[in-house]
Amino acid sequence: MSNTHKLQAVFWLGLAAFLSWDFMVSAPVDLRNEPPLIAAGSGQATSGGHCSMVK
Amino acid sequence: MKRLPLAALLAAFFIFLALSVSIRQAVLMLVGVGMGAALAGARFGFTTGWRQLIEQRNPQGVAGQVLLLALASLAALPLLGQFSELQAALGPPSVSLLVGAFVFGLTMQIADGCGSGTLYKAGLGVPLNMGILPLFALGSFLGSVHLDSWLSLGQMAPVSFPAEYGTGGALALTLALLAAVLVAVRLWVGAGQTWLDKRWLWGAVALAVLATLNLLLAGQPWGVVYGFGLWAAKVSVALGAFDPTANAFWSQAGNAQRLTQTVFMDVTTITNIGILGGALWVSAKATANSQPLTTQQWVIGLVAGFVMGYSSRLAFGCNIGAMLSGISTGSLHGWIWVPLAFAGTLIGVRVRRHYQF
Repeated sequence: MSNTHKLQAVFWLGLAAFLSWDFMVSAPVDLRNEPPLIAAGSGQATSGGHCSMVK
Repeated sequence: MKRLPLAALLAAFFIFLALSVSIRQAVLMLVGVGMGAALAGARFGFTTGWRQLIEQRNPQGVAGQVLLLALASLAALPLLGQFSELQAALGPPSVSLLVGAFVFGLTMQIADGCGSGTLYKAGLGVPLNMGILPLFALGSFLGSVHLDSWLSLGQMAPVSFPAEYGTGGALALTLALLAAVLVAVRLWVGAGQTWLDKRWLWGAVALAVLATLNLLLAGQPWGVVYGFGLWAAKVSVALGAFDPTANAFWSQAGNAQRLTQTVFMDVTTITNIGILGGALWVSAKATANSQPLTTQQWVIGLVAGFVMGYSSRLAFGCNIGAMLSGISTGSLHGWIWVPLAFAGTLIGVRVRRHYQF
């Protein structure tokens, strides 16, 4: 196994570990409040985070 | 990894998201996979396009980027006028933006990848970009922590072209400014250059379609940086190293709430994961070739990646969040970002050459 392949393995395992840990320790998802599939025309204001936001 | 098992993994992740988070996030992950496949398949590198223009007077990359901006604007501006639920990428013109965009443009050349470039190259398995990604996240988080101090140096309210001139006026102004960019490029490269290249063209069309889908589904434009900052913020809070209630940015209601939720509910996180997956899918048939780096090049590249993450937060986005999303949704800050980042890139390409990347 080359060093690049080892680094790839570490990278993907690290990412999977972070995402799994985060899902386990975060507040449970409230599936009853699931947003509509398409925001446009839904009547619900968008509230997601974006890098252009000041706050 | 072969494409079949990889497709099965992505399908399993889609089903998990649909059952455990929401159908919207599951579909947005697929949009991200498309973005990653388009970025990696077309090698649609914003950083490379700018470098080729400067060093080789090759306009193909920038022409592809202008096409992407024009197509995305033609879709996004009328949609924003039609649907009140949709948000534009409006960042404030500020000292923070000026400094952040300049430093971002400089460091992205050293790190050989902007926000999306780092993502898709990490997905392709390029060692430096895989190493940069966690440092980019840390830098993005620290930038958000310090953002309030940077904004205190001077800022004005975000300027929206549609709010100022209406949808038609904003579209006309945006297309006129894009045409002016092409004129400036023509003056720089001179006559006799080949402007169009197939991979830049199909990449631009594919990314414009996917960016529009992102806007329609999520209600907000495509972004990269916020998700990374959120990841590092969550780890910092879990380690007890950061108190979000004492910080101006992370104590805001929306950000504070996202710190308690799984990152799978965050729009930019989901598309970022999709981009990594899409690039990995491309890498199954077209592995990335990257030359081995010296220890010095590794150190410089990693430091540049960290500073790039920090400056992307000050600049209210990277080539995606500020340039593509800002310009295509009629934000003045996108048009301030581009010349400042390009000025930084003029220095960045020299630094890159000096260290023989």
